Amino acid sequence: MTVRALPRWRFRHLRTRLAVQYGVLFAASLLVVAIVGQLVIWGQARDAVRAELRTSGSVYDRIWAMRAHALMDSASVLTRDFGFRSAVASGDRPTIESALASLRTRADVPQAFFVDLQGQVFGTGSGDVRRAIASVPTTLARGRTEAVIATRTGAFRLIVAPVLAPNEIGWVTFALPLDRAEMAALQHLSAIPLAATILTRDAKGSWHGVSSDVAGSRALDAFVATAIGGRSEPAFLALRDGDALALAKPLLGPAGKPSAVLLLSYPWAAAMAAYRTMEVGIALAGVMGLLLVLLGSRRLANGIARPIAALDAAARALEEGTRTELLVESDDEVGRLAQSFNRMSAGIVEREHRITHLAFHDTLTSLPNRTYFCQQLESELQRSLKRGQRTTLLCLDLDGFKGINDSLGHPIGDALLRQMGDILSRIASDAVVARLGGDEFAIILADHDDVDRPRALAQAILDEMRSPLLVDGHQIATGASIGIAISPNDGADSDALLKNADLALYRAKQDGRGVFRFFEPALDAAARKRRALELDLREAIQSGQFRLNFQPIFDLKRDRIGGFEALLRWEHPTRGNVPPIEFISVAEETGLIIAIGDWVMQEACRQATAWPAHVRVAVNVSPLQFRNSGFPSVIFQALSHSGLSPDRLEIEITESVFLDGETTVVTLLHKLRAMGVRIALDDFGTGYSSLSYLRSFPFDKIKIDKSFVDAVAEDRSAAAIVRAIVDLATALHMETTAEGVEDRDQLSELRGQGCSSIQGYLFSRPIEGNMVAAMIGSAMSAAA
Amino acid sequence: MLIHVMRFTRAAAALACSFPAFAATVSVDVIGADGKPLAGAVVLVDTPRKPAGAMKPGGPYEMAQQNIAFVPHVLIVPVGATVSFPNRDKVRHHVYSFSKARKFDLKLYGKEETRSVVFDKPGVVALGCNIHDAMNGSIIVVETPYAVQSDAKGHATITDVPVGGATIRVWHPSIRAPDNMLSQSATVTATGYTTTYTIRGR
Repeated sequence: MTVRALPRWRFRHLRTRLAVQYGVLFAASLLVVAIVGQLVIWGQARDAVRAELRTSGSVYDRIWAMRAHALMDSASVLTRDFGFRSAVASGDRPTIESALASLRTRADVPQAFFVDLQGQVFGTGSGDVRRAIASVPTTLARGRTEAVIATRTGAFRLIVAPVLAPNEIGWVTFALPLDRAEMAALQHLSAIPLAATILTRDAKGSWHGVSSDVAGSRALDAFVATAIGGRSEPAFLALRDGDALALAKPLLGPAGKPSAVLLLSYPWAAAMAAYRTMEVGIALAGVMGLLLVLLGSRRLANGIARPIAALDAAARALEEGTRTELLVESDDEVGRLAQSFNRMSAGIVEREHRITHLAFHDTLTSLPNRTYFCQQLESELQRSLKRGQRTTLLCLDLDGFKGINDSLGHPIGDALLRQMGDILSRIASDAVVARLGGDEFAIILADHDDVDRPRALAQAILDEMRSPLLVDGHQIATGASIGIAISPNDGADSDALLKNADLALYRAKQDGRGVFRFFEPALDAAARKRRALELDLREAIQSGQFRLNFQPIFDLKRDRIGGFEALLRWEHPTRGNVPPIEFISVAEETGLIIAIGDWVMQEACRQATAWPAHVRVAVNVSPLQFRNSGFPSVIFQALSHSGLSPDRLEIEITESVFLDGETTVVTLLHKLRAMGVRIALDDFGTGYSSLSYLRSFPFDKIKIDKSFVDAVAEDRSAAAIVRAIVDLATALHMETTAEGVEDRDQLSELRGQGCSSIQGYLFSRPIEGNMVAAMIGSAMSAAA
Repeated sequence: MLIHVMRFTRAAAALACSFPAFAATVSVDVIGADGKPLAGAVVLVDTPRKPAGAMKPGGPYEMAQQNIAFVPHVLIVPVGATVSFPNRDKVRHHVYSFSKARKFDLKLYGKEETRSVVFDKPGVVALGCNIHDAMNGSIIVVETPYAVQSDAKGHATITDVPVGGATIRVWHPSIRAPDNMLSQSATVTATGYTTTYTIRGR
């Protein structure tokens, strides 16, 4: 079963609701006024007709009486006449009848008779009347001179005048028919068009109109009975032609009983017709009033609702993202609401702009950010693709920005980036310049008639960067590398284009920085190769494809193996033995070096525990690994898990770790030293070597790079450098290990120069871990 | 107009006086329509045997006009009597009668003028004045000596009425009957006859 809600009036507009509510309210009050007015009119009409009926009744009474009086006067002229009396006394019929005829003419009555004491009737007239009037004079009550009789031919009014001589000797009697003409004369007397009718009683005793214009009915009988009962008041009576207000006046017969009734009636419809104009007027006034109210309330409602509707529309528009300023028209609540709305919407729009700006712009440089850049690139690509045009993407990276940030501080770095943004915006004014993050910038260059424009732009940027920039009082010599990719050849979608531009940038950096490189498919192939290698590396970590080889470090002072340097080997199932030079760089780029380094550290310590107590294990640590905040705990865990004495672990770092900032590195080194771990400085003499490092931290050992060792036997200058390094180390109480010793000349030269230990093919290539014990044993024996 | 005789009562004769055995007293009470004793009504007793002496005209009889009225209002005269009509008013009168008993017409006559009329038939003569409608009077012309007017108490007593059958008639203008007269047969006994007439008008 479904329950249906009752239908309710719902308005879509406030003004309609107001107008309808006002209209209904007014219509209701109009209806009440109309009803009251109708009742008043009804009552007024009834009272007026009643009053008129009463007046007409009494006028009729007076007329009736006056008529009687006049007729009596006319009759008395005859009855007093001596001659007539004489004729009556002598029973002179011809004389009597001629006198009556003359009287008829004189008094203008249709029928005049004389009735003598014996009831003999003289005079001409209908037999009906003659028969009826014979007994009238003797039955007429004392003091009455008239009576109404009903005969078959109608009702008659009789005027009876006695003939006195001096006693009554007879009666002159006039018979006036109460016919249509008489009634018409009566009706004529009234101010309102009354209908006058004579009612007589039939054999059954019920009343009906003589002239058959009023039919007999029970209601009529009751009405007449009430009137005869003495309460002759105007009242409603249902007649054939409809309701009427009527007044019945009983007309007395000779014996004093009503023998006929005069019915004065006034049709109710006619009574109300007089007020029709008023009713129509009221109705018209009502309709006009209603129209006025509707118009007025609509106007009023508009006045109230229009600002609200405007607010509604403005709120809707704001919802959809457009803002409209509302016109404040008043000082009332609505006006204040509009003002508040304006302020609010302005605030919203302003904040929205800010948020949009924040979302799409870089706060530092105010350049578009990566999100905005990606959108721009996407749409630019779509547009150019449709038109068969090209889009050029330049990716730019500052060279050595990290070093600048570290050495001069972030505020300077930020200022440099801002300045860089300004420079790029200025030079590439015809392009979209965005900061992708860090020191990475990108430029979208739309299709240009000048095909050389990308190259020219890149060159212009590099030329600008050639001279040092003045940032907050610091002269900063920096350069930039630029990679360029051009759609559609270098990538049809934004991801491919960006990737390829990045690859070109990578190549530019690889090619010595400060240059620009266009993307070439070969770059992509190299990138794919690297990606494959990365996947294999992850697999290798998971499945344990790594193992460690160890190269002995021979202690020249004690003539024995003082330790082994752990070297990572990757035995790939299909690639075979992958040299570290191929995969270490990828591992460093992808951060996999951390995990690999952890494994190396654990494994080296684990294997070293099986060695004699004087044999150390040396482990290379990548700068990335070293920089990792969890590095000390990695060492700690490796030591505690294996149970290796800390002083048997020697970690080898290169000078490049100091690029991240000397202070933090030194702090970390001290921390490691405190654990008891030995620290060696690897590849000394290459790269950005600085003697200040040696001063800032007391390394346990300096490893002399193979490039010096190679020529130490033949080249005096090389020998001098090695001697200087050894002397320096000795002065600083550091050990030295010469790397890549391949022949005995080199060995003797190094031994002569006081080098602590050697490492190289001369003594041994790197060996498998399980060979270590045997080597130590044989070496011991050899030395022995 | 209707006159009803509602009651006719026979009563014992009065024995107050001693009369010859053939004469008795007729006593009549007349009561008007208003229930009060009616004065001025004329009560007549007609007997088959008429005393000769009583039938003489006698006289003089006078019906004067004084203060626009007939004086006396009612005059009882025997048949054959001559009645004079002296005018004692300053105005003139025109006395007439249309009564069957005696029709006459005394044309205008002035003050101190007297006309005479002989009434030779029994009956009621209604008198009027053609000038003054309000004036009316009556002359009752009787053949019997037993005729009197009721007194203020409506009482009429007629003595020396012979015993035997008789007709008792009552006249009064208010009686609406031919000649304003009601008649009733009665038997007068030696003890007399007593009756009461009650006139009922409308």
